[in-house]
Amino acid sequence: MLFFRFRGKGYQEGFRKGTHRGLQIGRRNGASQGAKLSSEISFYYGFAITWKCLLECNADNKSRKRLRALEALLNLIQKSPLDDPLSMTLQEDTEKLRAKFRQVCSMLGVPTDFKDYIKTAEGTSF
Amino acid sequence: MMSWVKAASFSGEDVFDENADDLNLQSKEWTSNMKKRIKDGYVDGVSAGEEASLQVGFNQGFREGAAQTVAVGRLRGIVSAVWCCCLIQHPEKPVPSCVIDLLQQVTRHEEGIVDGIRKALENPPPSVSDVSESMEDLEVKQADPDCSGAGCEETDCCRSEQKMDLDSSHQQNLCSEPSGASSGSCEGLDLLVQRCMDLVSELGLPRELIGHLEELKNM
Repeated sequence: MLFFRFRGKGYQEGFRKGTHRGLQIGRRNGASQGAKLSSEISFYYGFAITWKCLLECNADNKSRKRLRALEALLNLIQKSPLDDPLSMTLQEDTEKLRAKFRQVCSMLGVPTDFKDYIKTAEGTSF
Repeated sequence: MMSWVKAASFSGEDVFDENADDLNLQSKEWTSNMKKRIKDGYVDGVSAGEEASLQVGFNQGFREGAAQTVAVGRLRGIVSAVWCCCLIQHPEKPVPSCVIDLLQQVTRHEEGIVDGIRKALENPPPSVSDVSESMEDLEVKQADPDCSGAGCEETDCCRSEQKMDLDSSHQQNLCSEPSGASSGSCEGLDLLVQRCMDLVSELGLPRELIGHLEELKNM
C-alpha cells in the first residue's frame, strides 16, 4: 500500500511538471507556425486589396477579369481557418490560397523579380 | 528489524553505536528504494503530462503567434503590390527608392517580430533530471502557483521578455525587447504605416488605400 501511495505522489508531481513543460514546448512551436502562416495569408490580403484599389477605376475587360480573380482570392482568405490550427482543412485551404495567389500574379503580369522575392518570404526566414 | 527491537531493551546511547551499521544500511536501502520508485513514477508522470499538454500548448501558441504578424504581413502585401505596380506600369523606369526602402523596412520589422516570438519562448524547459534533483520537489507544495497557460498578456508590446521559471507562473510575453525603431514594437509599425500613407499620396495612388492602411494602426 505504501509503495503505491508513494508512486502515485511522484507520478502526480511529475504529471504537473510535464504538463507545464508540454505547454511550453507546444506553445513555442505553435507560435512559430502561427506567425508564419498568418504572415503569408495577411500578405496575400494586403496585396489583393491594393491591386483591387488600383484596378477598380478601370472599366476594360482585362481589368474586370483581374478584379474577379482578386475577389476570389479575397473570398478564400475570408474563409481561411487561420484561427483554428486543428481544422481538418487547414492544409488544403492554404494550398488553394497559394494556387489562387499564383494565378492572380500571372493575370497581373507580375515580373519574375517579384516572384523570386515571394519565394524567399515563404521559404527561408519565414 | 529484529536488531532494533533488541536494541530498544538496552538503555542509553550505546544502542545506536552497536547497531549503527545494520540500522544505517537498512535505512539507506529503504530510502534509496523509495527514491527510485518515486523517481520512476515521477518520470512517467512527466511523460504523460507532456503528451497530454503539447497539443493544447500548440493551439494556444498558434493563435498568439498568428495575431502578431497580421498587421505587418498585410502591410508587406500592400507595399509589395505598390512595388509590383511600379514594375509593371513603368518598366522603363527604375522603381522609386522610397518604395524599395519601405519594403525593406517592413520586411525587417516582420523578421524582428518573428525573431522576438522565437526568443521569448526559447528558454529550453529544464530536463527531468534538473527538476527531480531535490527530494523536496516531490512534496506537493500548496503554495505552488499553477501555470495554467491560459490568457497570456501578450498585448503589452513593450515589456521585456521574462524568463520562464519552472516553479513560477510567469506568463511569457511573445514580443521581443524594444531595440530600435524597427523592432517588434507597436510604435515601429505605426511609423511604417504612416510612411506608406505618405507614399500613396506621393505616387498619386487611389485614396481608398489610405483607409486600408488606417485599419492597420488599430490592429
